[in-house]
Amino acid sequence: MLAGTAPAVPVSDHNRPGWKAWALLAPMVLWLILFVVVPGLILLVYSFCERDEIGGVMFTFTWENYARVFDPVYLRIFGRSVWYAALTTAICAVVGYPVAYYIARVPETLRNKLLLLVMVPFWTSFLIRTFAWITILKQEGLLNSLVKAMGAGIGPFDLLYTPTAVVIGLVYAYLPFMILPIYGSAEKLDNSLIEAAYDLGASPVRAFSSVIVPLTMPGIAAGTLLVFVPAIGMFAITDLMGGAKVPMIGNVIQNQFLLARNWPFGAALGVVFMLMFVVTYVILQRRASRSA
Amino acid sequence: MKSLKQLLLALAVLAGSLGLNAAELNLFGWSEYVPQDVLDGFTKETGIKVNFETYASNEELLSKLVAGGGNYDLIQPSEYAAELMIRRKMLAPLDKAQIPNLKNVAPEFKGLAHDPKDEFTVPYMSGTVGIVVNTDKVKDSIRGYKDVFQAKFKDRLVVLDDNREIVTWALYTAGLPANEINAASLAKVRPIIAQWVKLVKVFDSGSPKTALINGDVDIGIVWSGEAALLWNEDKKFKYVLPAEGAHRFIDIFCIPADAPHKKEAHAFINYILRPDVSKIISRDFPYTNPNVEARKILSPEELANPASYPAGPAKLETFRDIGKAAADIDELMTDIKSAL
Amino acid sequence: MPASRPLIPSGLTLLNWFLRGWTALVFVFLYAPIAVLVVFSFNSSRLNIVWESFTFTWYERLAANTPLIRAAKNSLIVATATTILSVVIGTAGAWLLHRYRFRFSRAIQTLVAIPMVMPEILLGISLLIMFVTIGLNLGFASVIIGHVTFSFPFVLVAVQARLQGLDSSLEEAALDLGATPLKAFWLVIVPSLRPAIMAGGLMAFTLSMDELIVTVFVKSAASATLPVKVFDMARVGLNPMLNALSAIFIVATVAFVLFSEYLKKLSR
Repeated sequence: MLAGTAPAVPVSDHNRPGWKAWALLAPMVLWLILFVVVPGLILLVYSFCERDEIGGVMFTFTWENYARVFDPVYLRIFGRSVWYAALTTAICAVVGYPVAYYIARVPETLRNKLLLLVMVPFWTSFLIRTFAWITILKQEGLLNSLVKAMGAGIGPFDLLYTPTAVVIGLVYAYLPFMILPIYGSAEKLDNSLIEAAYDLGASPVRAFSSVIVPLTMPGIAAGTLLVFVPAIGMFAITDLMGGAKVPMIGNVIQNQFLLARNWPFGAALGVVFMLMFVVTYVILQRRASRSA
Repeated sequence: MKSLKQLLLALAVLAGSLGLNAAELNLFGWSEYVPQDVLDGFTKETGIKVNFETYASNEELLSKLVAGGGNYDLIQPSEYAAELMIRRKMLAPLDKAQIPNLKNVAPEFKGLAHDPKDEFTVPYMSGTVGIVVNTDKVKDSIRGYKDVFQAKFKDRLVVLDDNREIVTWALYTAGLPANEINAASLAKVRPIIAQWVKLVKVFDSGSPKTALINGDVDIGIVWSGEAALLWNEDKKFKYVLPAEGAHRFIDIFCIPADAPHKKEAHAFINYILRPDVSKIISRDFPYTNPNVEARKILSPEELANPASYPAGPAKLETFRDIGKAAADIDELMTDIKSAL
Repeated sequence: MPASRPLIPSGLTLLNWFLRGWTALVFVFLYAPIAVLVVFSFNSSRLNIVWESFTFTWYERLAANTPLIRAAKNSLIVATATTILSVVIGTAGAWLLHRYRFRFSRAIQTLVAIPMVMPEILLGISLLIMFVTIGLNLGFASVIIGHVTFSFPFVLVAVQARLQGLDSSLEEAALDLGATPLKAFWLVIVPSLRPAIMAGGLMAFTLSMDELIVTVFVKSAASATLPVKVFDMARVGLNPMLNALSAIFIVATVAFVLFSEYLKKLSR
């Protein structure tokens, strides 16, 4: 199942949009055309241009930028970005699910508060949060002091500027975007269904895996989309917590604009990146609506 | 006839109330590089309102100029970006009669390669890229890039996350000219860089001092401004200009060709070249001040900061615009780093 | 909905405790850096990388730093406008796409997801070119447009997840009773979507508060947001003033959340 799949409701008259429905949808469609399609087309045009030494482009036609995109170097970078994003998504789902479920089950007055508290840490600035993490993870940092004080005889851990630190940073940044959508669908879970499962003698684990998880699947799918997709392009965390040793696809694209002054190649990378996403998305959508 | 006059009058009043007549200056400068005191002082003295918009990299400045996003009167690029803009005829020549304080600029900052006749640019502040050593941890004498990139310092190094800088250091190490970058010279430095990046623990241009203060690394190749802050924090951090040669950057003021308020822009340039004003800039940003008159009134402590006023002879060069080689450098570094 | 429901039917206290403990641990994870950040706002070291000694100086200096406070205000203005617009566009869009079979439903759906995958730098630069071409002056409007573009899909996706499997009989009942579809939407659908709208709105607000790269390209001098200002300051070293600002903001919000019940009682 995929978030945003058209539901398997039989098509009847009242599913057919009248002019009113179209009029209501129009602002969004217009917005998408103006600020997503047109900018996308600008990029598409740029990706076939040649670079101008000052940044910006010269309007001559070339395939060269696309030839370069499929260089193994960039494919490897892309693969690594996808891997980090997938790992982040998986960890966020495992860590976030119980939290979302718990919040959805507490009394209503408490629910909104907990939800807000999940989000509030992110109303600070990214850089300041990240520097706080550096204070925690560095060699002479809080975590290692804590481990030492407990006298467990392990450590000190060399965490900062390693892939582990990168994953901690990514999970931290994206966890709320997994918790919130799952909460959205766990909140409407019907207690009687779960009770029925228990009444029929299902163990908690069984009830969880065969009743609760399937019912909250739309939330999990939405959360996966909201975490995985933005995480592929993320590089600020990777740089600051990982020491910027390995480039991510986000770095490479950004550098074309802010360092190499090669807008056309940056645009080509972006176009291919978005196309790959669109193709995957459409295939998943098709499959989901077929299985529904 | 009378009604036309009235209409014109009304329009003039309207224009005045909209602030079209009020003197103002649209300054587009590096973020956190012009002290607020200086901006306020200028407005107080001249009545010219300053609209200060900022950017964080030369390329950001260029892309905003290329897209045509604003009407800027005064901009503050680094030397290589200014050179490019001069060549593209994007800058207005300065009217030196309006800037009497130009006489305060040190001779070593005049007639430089980016603007040989000083027609378009005035230096603001300058700095270098050099080596910072935590002398508590490292007892060896570190004099150049070769001393930094040794196997025994593996994972004890922080360097700028700046591809052109890294390539420049390698060019100096190989004894090649730093401003003539082509396929052949890049091929020569490639193995050197590939060796180096394996030793580095952190690449960071934004705040390389963090890893040094935290003790996560012991040696860094950083901007002199970062080194000056480190030195102020703890005298164990020594700054060394690499013996093989080093990059000197100069941030300058210049006026875009289509600037709407050129007169105000000249007035601002003249103002910041005043020694008492320049001293405030030095107080807030410990870079090398090219203003000789201002340097005379700096405190001995400020002048003693080795990162701001490094001692000893060293080969210092500014960056020239290298045109399309910038993309080749990016490709080379991406290739090397992605193999890590 | 009953005000309080059992977490899980009785006898399963173990699982109950597990959920509670796990959630507590996750909150520790979420707030550990925040605690550090607040503590370091009292650090006397200007570079604020290692702890020196306790001071209130930064709070005093913050009060006098007009550009920083203005940037914080700008952020709140932009984030609020972004949230409202995103919630309206996202909720309406999710419902319409769910309720009706539009001719290009699937294409629109895919289009919605693109701003989430579009690298920020591409969105920023292409929007800048676009704004300059159509002659829109850079300012608050351009920043808000940029933010809404990548924020409203988050609302839409969250609301859509909730809509799936939502009981459609309620709406039909309302329609049968003679309500217009719009009225049915407002009176029946919106209330049952509230948790998802709330979640989506929170995400939009958060994304907007923390966005840097798109903003850098579409801002003007007057509409620079806090993250832009913070990034600028990072060039010369982040100082504890920024921690102080974040600390005030977070502590105020958390205190408000924790005491809102109490406040409500007081006002009664």
